[in-house]
Amino acid sequence: MQIVEPLQVAIDELSKLPSIGRKTAQRLALHILKSDEEVVESLVKVLHELKSKIRICSVCYNYSIDDNCDICNNQKRDRSFICVVEEASDIISIERTNEYQGLYHVLGGVLSPLSGKGTESLKIKELIQRLESDEIKEVLLAINPDTEGEATSLYLAKLIKPLGVKVSRIARGLPIGGDLEFADDATIGRAVIGRSYL
Amino acid sequence: MILERLALSNFRLHKNTELNFSENLNYIVGGNGQGKTTILEAMYFLCTTRSLNQASDNEALNFDERFFEITGAFRDTVKNKIRIYYDLDTNKKSVFLNDKQVNRASTLIGKFPVVTLTQSDHSITLGAPADRRKFVDSVISQSSETYLKILLDYNRTLRQRSSLLSQIKESNNRYLLSQLEAWTETLINSGSEIVKHRIKFIKTFQEYIENSYQRVMEGKEKPSVYYSFYGELDENMIDEKFRDELKERYNDELRRATNLVGPHRDDFIFTINEHEIRKFGSQGQHKTFQIALRFGEFFYLKNVRSIVPIFLMDDVFGELDTNRSRKISEYLNDIGQAFITMTDFTNFKHLQKTENDLVLNVNNGKAAYA
Repeated sequence: MQIVEPLQVAIDELSKLPSIGRKTAQRLALHILKSDEEVVESLVKVLHELKSKIRICSVCYNYSIDDNCDICNNQKRDRSFICVVEEASDIISIERTNEYQGLYHVLGGVLSPLSGKGTESLKIKELIQRLESDEIKEVLLAINPDTEGEATSLYLAKLIKPLGVKVSRIARGLPIGGDLEFADDATIGRAVIGRSYL
Repeated sequence: MILERLALSNFRLHKNTELNFSENLNYIVGGNGQGKTTILEAMYFLCTTRSLNQASDNEALNFDERFFEITGAFRDTVKNKIRIYYDLDTNKKSVFLNDKQVNRASTLIGKFPVVTLTQSDHSITLGAPADRRKFVDSVISQSSETYLKILLDYNRTLRQRSSLLSQIKESNNRYLLSQLEAWTETLINSGSEIVKHRIKFIKTFQEYIENSYQRVMEGKEKPSVYYSFYGELDENMIDEKFRDELKERYNDELRRATNLVGPHRDDFIFTINEHEIRKFGSQGQHKTFQIALRFGEFFYLKNVRSIVPIFLMDDVFGELDTNRSRKISEYLNDIGQAFITMTDFTNFKHLQKTENDLVLNVNNGKAAYA
């Protein structure tokens, strides 16, 4: 098998990306090769800027262009409300809903003694500092409901409550528009345990 | 659920075996080491994707071959075909449900319920608490996916917590103690769910065990199952009791760096006329109790799942007297489909047999209809 070297290199590089296999990488490389010059240049520019322009917000650890991110700078948002998430990518998911108007705080992971992750490797100290200095009334913990997420939520709740700040947690249960018939038993079981009263 | 057909290739002694079964009792008869139990093992493999005695996949392979394959056709309200293929060179096992590959074996668990009665059941009544927990957990897990998930969560919490306890012991870092508190709360949350499920299960199961014990042993003996955890405790008190006990053993846990309190250390106590059989039971009582447990499991799963499990009995009659054997074979007629291995054709006579029952002779990895 002989492939022109730049094409082979491009395929190799693209196949390093997550969820891109060899065949998809080849299709992408060939597509780029066939595209107009401007299209390719704009792609290159976008990728380059993605890396060079984006940094981490010094307040909430979200992705940002400036020292403070757009959400932290936005005076129209509810500044008494902080939503705590595991990773900055979770902010994108919550922002898409348009349901939440408060601020964020990215922990950068969850507690997991088995993989050596303790409180010092998470942005917990920074969260507490924010709670002490700002006028925060409520903290919403939006951490994944697995074992580690659960322990992290409990840890944070214990830490935050004495500061006189309300602590809440996102509900878990059935997806909207989901059919009971098609939900898995464990989800329904948990939803029954965590039922809410009308 | 009925297993209609089974095909084995290179599975232990069975190079190439194809069998059609009766909807009633299927007796599998042959000498020692001829491949009787292997047929049951293959059935268990189909239902759970795992080996009966926790053997690894390559152990079940025929010595001269590079792959094995098991295919089974089940009939319930619909027909299902399961195929399991193991390849030695890649050491990979592939599972197909109706010719579609199943990626996670756990999606199959519980869909094809199976109850086994084997020699290793001795450990349930005679062995350590862990053996009894394994029995109870496997019955509840087969009936409730929620329980299985909580159990997995709980076990993960145990691992995380014991890792943290070791870190605390090594580093002597007081700061880690606040993290331990969070893991303790997580442990209490999932742990008390497990206890609630177990309490509920034991209450229901008591009736099943009484019924099946009566069927095997007519008489005045009354079997009971008790759960050691907190006895007759109110459901809302479990969290509290759990927390108190953790507090009491707190220093012990730190010193020994292990999880000392929780449902992973529970025991179940089996009694006959209120005497604990682990201590006072005769050989016959043990055997009868084991049989009653498995029949109880069968009818329990049948009722809660509304799928009739298949019943695998490995060489049970060899140990029983004529009277009890007859009782069990009468009882088996209530079961539906069952697969029973036996070593000796002679102790066959006193078993109740109907014309729908099937007898298979197995000889050196080859099976023939009798």
